[in-house]
Amino acid sequence: MDEEKKASENPLKVNRRHFFSQLSVGIGSLALGSLLIPDLFKKGAQQLALEQPLGVAHFAPKAKRIIYLFQAGAPSQLETFDYKPILRKRMGEDLPESIRKGQRLTNMTANQDKFPLMPPKIGFQQHGESRTWVSDFFPHIAKIADEITVVRSMHTEAINHDPAITFFQTGSQISGRPSMGSWLSYGLGSENKNLPSFVVLTSRGKGNSQGLYSKLWSSGFLDSKHQGVLLRSGKDPVLYLNDPEGISRADKRHLLDHVSSLNKLHHVETGDDEIESRIAQYEMAYRMQMSVPDVMDISKEPQSIIDLYGEDCQVPGTYAANALQARRLAENGVRFIQLYHQGWDQHGNLHNEMAGQAKDVDQASAALVLDLKQRGMLDDTLVVWGGEFGRGNYAQGKFDPENYGRDHHPKAFSIWMAGGGIKPGLNYGKTDEFGYNVIENPVHINDFHATLMHAMGLDHEQLTYKYQGRRFRLTDVAGNVIKDLLA
Amino acid sequence: MTNTSQYKWVDYVVFGLSLFLVFCFIFESFIELPIWVAWIGRWHPLILHFPIVLLLICAFLGLTGRMIPKVLLSSAVVLTLVTTISGFFLGKEMGEKGDLLFWHQWLGGALGILAALWYGMQRTNLNGSMVFKVLQAVVVGLVFATGHYGGMVTHGEDFLALPVKKRAEKIPENPFIYKDVVGRILDDKCVSCHNPNKKKGELLMTSLEGLLAGGEVGNTLIPGHPEESELIRRIHLPLEDEEHMPPEGKRALDTDEIQILERWIALGASDTLRLEHLQPSEPLAEYIEQLIQPDPMERWTALPVVADSTLLGLSSDYVTIRRIAGGINALSINVYKSPIYDTKQLTDLGPIAKNIIQMDVSGLPLAQEEVNLIASCSNLEWLEIDQTPLTDVEVDTLKVLSRLRTLKIYSTAISDESIPVFERMGELQKLYLWHTEVSSEKLLDFQKRNPKLQIETGIDPEVQASFQTSDSIPKN
Repeated sequence: MDEEKKASENPLKVNRRHFFSQLSVGIGSLALGSLLIPDLFKKGAQQLALEQPLGVAHFAPKAKRIIYLFQAGAPSQLETFDYKPILRKRMGEDLPESIRKGQRLTNMTANQDKFPLMPPKIGFQQHGESRTWVSDFFPHIAKIADEITVVRSMHTEAINHDPAITFFQTGSQISGRPSMGSWLSYGLGSENKNLPSFVVLTSRGKGNSQGLYSKLWSSGFLDSKHQGVLLRSGKDPVLYLNDPEGISRADKRHLLDHVSSLNKLHHVETGDDEIESRIAQYEMAYRMQMSVPDVMDISKEPQSIIDLYGEDCQVPGTYAANALQARRLAENGVRFIQLYHQGWDQHGNLHNEMAGQAKDVDQASAALVLDLKQRGMLDDTLVVWGGEFGRGNYAQGKFDPENYGRDHHPKAFSIWMAGGGIKPGLNYGKTDEFGYNVIENPVHINDFHATLMHAMGLDHEQLTYKYQGRRFRLTDVAGNVIKDLLA
Repeated sequence: MTNTSQYKWVDYVVFGLSLFLVFCFIFESFIELPIWVAWIGRWHPLILHFPIVLLLICAFLGLTGRMIPKVLLSSAVVLTLVTTISGFFLGKEMGEKGDLLFWHQWLGGALGILAALWYGMQRTNLNGSMVFKVLQAVVVGLVFATGHYGGMVTHGEDFLALPVKKRAEKIPENPFIYKDVVGRILDDKCVSCHNPNKKKGELLMTSLEGLLAGGEVGNTLIPGHPEESELIRRIHLPLEDEEHMPPEGKRALDTDEIQILERWIALGASDTLRLEHLQPSEPLAEYIEQLIQPDPMERWTALPVVADSTLLGLSSDYVTIRRIAGGINALSINVYKSPIYDTKQLTDLGPIAKNIIQMDVSGLPLAQEEVNLIASCSNLEWLEIDQTPLTDVEVDTLKVLSRLRTLKIYSTAISDESIPVFERMGELQKLYLWHTEVSSEKLLDFQKRNPKLQIETGIDPEVQASFQTSDSIPKN
């Protein structure tokens, strides 16, 4: 009996019946276990988001469009929104190493023997119920203190303009990635088929300027239809958009139809999807011939609006004109309106240059927010104002409180945002008493991008594009949505 | 039973422990435990699992008429007594006992005594009789009852209740700030450790009295002074701080919740305060109104299904139809000025009217026909009809839009007669009304009757004037 039992327990002596009966128990238990995984055979939320058609928000958005007032060259946080009285108290003293902590500097100041603390020459006041500190350079922005949220805890990794601005615009310091506006166009599609969904307007102040290159509004590896369209100032906002003399609109239509049929043949032959984009762009250009002049024509704006934005807004190519234009483009369904105002790179003569720069942008920036507000557009339009990094709290070169400059500083700087699902009147984040390091609620560029995308109804981790074998995101492998900023 | 004698020492242990247990229970109020004895109590949650299993096995064997191995019963009884005593020690650490703990302790005590009785009776001739079986059955019952109460003490009273999908109860209209808002936050984040049965830090957070009384640290809540209240100080500490509340591993309060607690304390921490008592400018009111608002995505789940192909068919170069978010049937419509305007661009939207939540038709030469279509969009929440030739006559048609929350109607020819239409839109939150024929007195009147409605009447003339005169260059 025992012998028999032992024999049947020999692992090598398994017959088919044994095998199946034991297998059924095994499979049965696995099946029982699988019942505990609710979505095993359903698609997970992540899968669903991936399969959602592009051009639809992942969840109900707070903002439908963004107006980004980029202050290229990096305005000093110490002369704009980050008030540090200790700099006056300890003026001329060397920046303590306990604060600098070996931070790398640009080669413009790296060889300085001393880093004497330099206070702002401009005064500061608190404004609005939010008691927001705003420097006297910006009397108009001070009036909208309760509409805006100042973030004083921005920080970046780059210490020079080009990598820093490229980082802000594309999420990477190295050029080649799609711009933020392109990502949003790719993720949300266009709202008005007669205008590009990503438009760029540039202006230049008298201050020290740094270059702006079209790579900043490039669509990178995304379809070229998501590329930012630079609107020029003056008579022809878009070059070569107007028909030559003697060509009627009907002729143009005829021409386009024919070109398009040829292109389609070529597409069948080569299978290159860029050809389809090109066809679409010709069509868009055809419609833009009608829509752009209408949007760009500010002659019908009432005097009260001209007064609000300032006289300058009638002069094409100024920041004020671009700000007014930005509102008109936003009204017409452009998703991402990128303004650049150059001239904020004050390595020297900071006070005078900043006064000039501030005069260029202060009134028009505030006017834009007020104008959007009265039109109810601040509810679904997000306005951002800021540069690519901050500036050091020590003097660059010779120590002269009357005429000083500040070098680049990546570890802390201030920007403001308004509308579009951002809490108004908030003072977010803190720097140390020297305005050098962030000590509370840091916001990295990746976090900033993630938060903007969240306001637009997109999950920054879900909006990806597969290129060269891996999926890319605007925030790449980082970024957290700053929930505290969202209303 | 010849081998009993060799376990004689077990008899003594059982006898000694039961006596000690009885003593403890009788003189509970006089006992004060030295620290190292109290420490033994901390082992209670660990060892309690042994007597449960062993006693149940013994009872099973006994009740089915089998032989109970002597060593099994002995270890079961000894461990039962040790567990009961350690439990008693642990209970001593609690200053005040809630109902659950009270019952757990007394049932546990009874179980210990009964187990000892069982041990003592096994050598009598009662062994195997009916009386004995009743005893075993009662032990089983006590094991379950004690264990159940113990479980409720550690895991919460509804731990064993059938799990229900947690769905926050709707906050009533005009809620009590304490009962309906603050109380819920505390219930959600604090009460699991600060309740009558588990008073961590001697703090009871289930009632306002408990909060005011405070815990080990007295100043838990100082009405009117959030900055001095320990509660507020602790929730503000960095997450990694030892004293941060809720402790590591539990969900922390979010900023809105912290703000609500702070403002409520600043306003005096009253339990009779209601939403309607708050000034409109009080930030607390805003936070609470946000809480009351349901999630829009949920609101839109009941909309009829609409196919992508339908949307594609109705879209054109000048009509943009979008789903507000992927996978939902709520739509937003944008109609842009086209070289040749056709009323059909709008009137064709009839089949999807119920799905339209947001509509922007500003700047279009709208007439009655289009307005009729708009009025048929019964779920409309957001409507932009600014800069259109609309007058009171057409706007009157829109009074059926009861779900409207945002209405932009500036730069139109409407007058005072349209105000009753807005008044009928019960859910209206924002109204953009300027550059119209509406008189400022009537508008002011309307605003007074509806203090919660935000009416945007254009840029403040004072600000506008200052923009005209002031210069950005500071005077040095």
